[in-house]
Amino acid sequence: MHPLEIEHRRIRLLHRVPPAIKLLVALGLVTTTAMLPRRPDALYWWPAALLGVLWLLSGMPLLYTIRRLLLFEFFIVGIGLMSLLAPASKDLFLSAFMKSNLCIFAMLLLTWTTPFPDILQELRRARLPAVMITTLALMSRYLPVLAEESARMQRARASRTFSRQHRLAWRNLANITAQLFIRSADRAERIYLAMCARGWK
Amino acid sequence: MHLHDGYLDAKTALLCTGASVVGVGIAVRQVRSCLEARQMPLLGLSAAFVFAAQMLNFPVVDGTSGHLVGGVLIAILLGPSAAILVITCVLMVQCLMFADGGLMALGANVLNMAVVSVCGGYFVFRALKWMLRMEDKRATVFAAAFASWCGTVLASIACAGELALSKTLPWSFIFPAMANVHMLIGVGEGVATSLIVLAVLRNRPQLVAGIKADGPATWAGFIGYGLLVALALAVFVAPFACPWPDGLEAVAGALGFANKATPHSVPAPLEDYRLPWVGSVTLATAVAGAIGTVIAFISAYALARILVPPLSSARKHAPSGD
Amino acid sequence: MNPAVEVRNLSYRYPGPRSGLALDDVSFTIGENECVGLLGPNGAGKSTLLLHLNGLLPETAPAEPNLWIAGEPISARTLETVRQRVGLLFQDPDDQLISSTVFEDVAFGPQQMGVQGAILRALVEHCLGQVGLAGFGERQPHRLSHGEKRRVCLAGVLACKPTVLVLDEPTSDLDPRGRREFKRLLQSLPGAKLIATHDLELVVDLCSRVLILDGGKLILQGPTVPLLSDEKLMLAHGLEKPHVLLHRHPHGPA
Repeated sequence: MHPLEIEHRRIRLLHRVPPAIKLLVALGLVTTTAMLPRRPDALYWWPAALLGVLWLLSGMPLLYTIRRLLLFEFFIVGIGLMSLLAPASKDLFLSAFMKSNLCIFAMLLLTWTTPFPDILQELRRARLPAVMITTLALMSRYLPVLAEESARMQRARASRTFSRQHRLAWRNLANITAQLFIRSADRAERIYLAMCARGWK
Repeated sequence: MHLHDGYLDAKTALLCTGASVVGVGIAVRQVRSCLEARQMPLLGLSAAFVFAAQMLNFPVVDGTSGHLVGGVLIAILLGPSAAILVITCVLMVQCLMFADGGLMALGANVLNMAVVSVCGGYFVFRALKWMLRMEDKRATVFAAAFASWCGTVLASIACAGELALSKTLPWSFIFPAMANVHMLIGVGEGVATSLIVLAVLRNRPQLVAGIKADGPATWAGFIGYGLLVALALAVFVAPFACPWPDGLEAVAGALGFANKATPHSVPAPLEDYRLPWVGSVTLATAVAGAIGTVIAFISAYALARILVPPLSSARKHAPSGD
Repeated sequence: MNPAVEVRNLSYRYPGPRSGLALDDVSFTIGENECVGLLGPNGAGKSTLLLHLNGLLPETAPAEPNLWIAGEPISARTLETVRQRVGLLFQDPDDQLISSTVFEDVAFGPQQMGVQGAILRALVEHCLGQVGLAGFGERQPHRLSHGEKRRVCLAGVLACKPTVLVLDEPTSDLDPRGRREFKRLLQSLPGAKLIATHDLELVVDLCSRVLILDGGKLILQGPTVPLLSDEKLMLAHGLEKPHVLLHRHPHGPA
């Protein structure tokens, strides 16, 4: 469901733009798109064109773009369908559909061109509370480690599972999740010791 | 339930961001004063854990699967303030690393899933534990199941309120739709949370921190959160819960939100629909909600009874920890 | 001349209902440039002992000091200096590699000591060069191999300029090449070293003396080859005679 970062992004022009600018541009794009009229309008072309240009400059592969957009379509279509139930709402559905896709596209470009450590650096500069910065930093560092641990546990469990009963599957998954938490807590303890060993106070 | 951009208008997004900043601010202050330095890395690891746990697919019906959200689970394991921080960080990473969830909508997502869900769910958990007179493990499992169900439903109600306040969708439609769907989804969350809490209790009971007694500092947090959640629900939900049709306009007018003329007025196609013996759909929704809640409560109890057999027979079973 | 490390009558019991001493009246010294091996079966208390050397245990400083680093007792006052002087390398590099980039992680220790700017950069690059990872500054930890992670951790420890290196199972999980490279690296580093390990070949190659710990007690200490050649002794304490000594006379040429 949440594919981890793609390696080997080709470094293009947009990667070199300072992260603060990219964040502000993304926020601006998203806000202005949200404020556009609630029916398909010529105004929609402006953010669309800008995003198109940015996409070309970013070097984001087409297949990747489509795949990620499709992942979120489920949500968009879901909410959109609900708009269809209101009268005179084909416009509302279309506008919500288009606006939402534009905003997601903007966010995809942001995440493609701005590695998370850079964003974290900006958040640090913006004086986000230290405890949140530490949490975000440790989280991004240990996410792959825990994901791998969880995958290993699932594989080990699957190799000893001979039934497809859902009840057992839930029991197994709950046990794996609990084990993952316990191991994370133990690891957190060791990380604390390792940090203290190098002078952290 | 991650809201993407484009559904909330500017004023709602601003309101949500303001409320969530206040909530996270309280959480940061609580964590700084109550958490030892030794537990600081645990916040980061727990955030990674929530993320990794959300990647595990719990099979639902053949072909489909659901996944844990985990706010109330973390609140039970680490306490509410830590949970608010952890879930906020998870949402931030999801938005800024994976584009999962809008940037403008981040405030709303944090408010729904980190503040309302965690505080509301945890409050239910503590209240139930305080009221229940049964064996400790079973009481915890029961409370965990029902509390996480409540957390999911509360978050969906807040979300519905935000969508309605933005005039994206009519309240009379979105509220029952969201609430009912999440009452079903919440069952999965409740079952998963209770199973996980039980497994942790069996293996490492000292890790379940949320049930410890609190001091005066945490009471200040409690009050702060309670007020915030009440305020959020009042602003986002109360205008619509008003039975009179102009309730929304009256409250919106009183709060100073000028209703700009939009191309479409708030449509309410279902208000005229009447169920044969219940009356208006508003009443029907309320009845359905009440029935759903009671069913969830009873199911949580039944689950706890199945998972934690009476003490005498429990001794015969080997521990299920891995 | 003060020994690099001196331990006198060190005992420790973990808090909680667990009975038994994790360490029972342990005493030894390590000379200034000596490399000593710490052997023993699992659960013998090796890791517990190592945590004491860095002041991470006991949780509250004892009234009477049991440990001296270069003549200075480990107490609440001297904790900061001790942590700088004694570099501890943990068993799992993932526990020690906490930052998002290699550079940041190696810089962590010196930053806590107040080093900044160009000096910090130069120090980090020097330490990375020492461990053979020059140019790895911008790499992300989870993309590194296990051996590379270990070396980054070592660089991070070296950046604090320790006088004593304490290593917990440094060659576990390494493939043969990684093991050989790490061994060569350790041989090149000056200063006192204490290596807790199951890798008996490593001990024969690097350590002039060994300590054998079992059940929290220091059973024996002495020169490496004669001790490790005593098969009965090795087996009695959950160890074994290393293959490299199978055909070597304990008192013959090394």
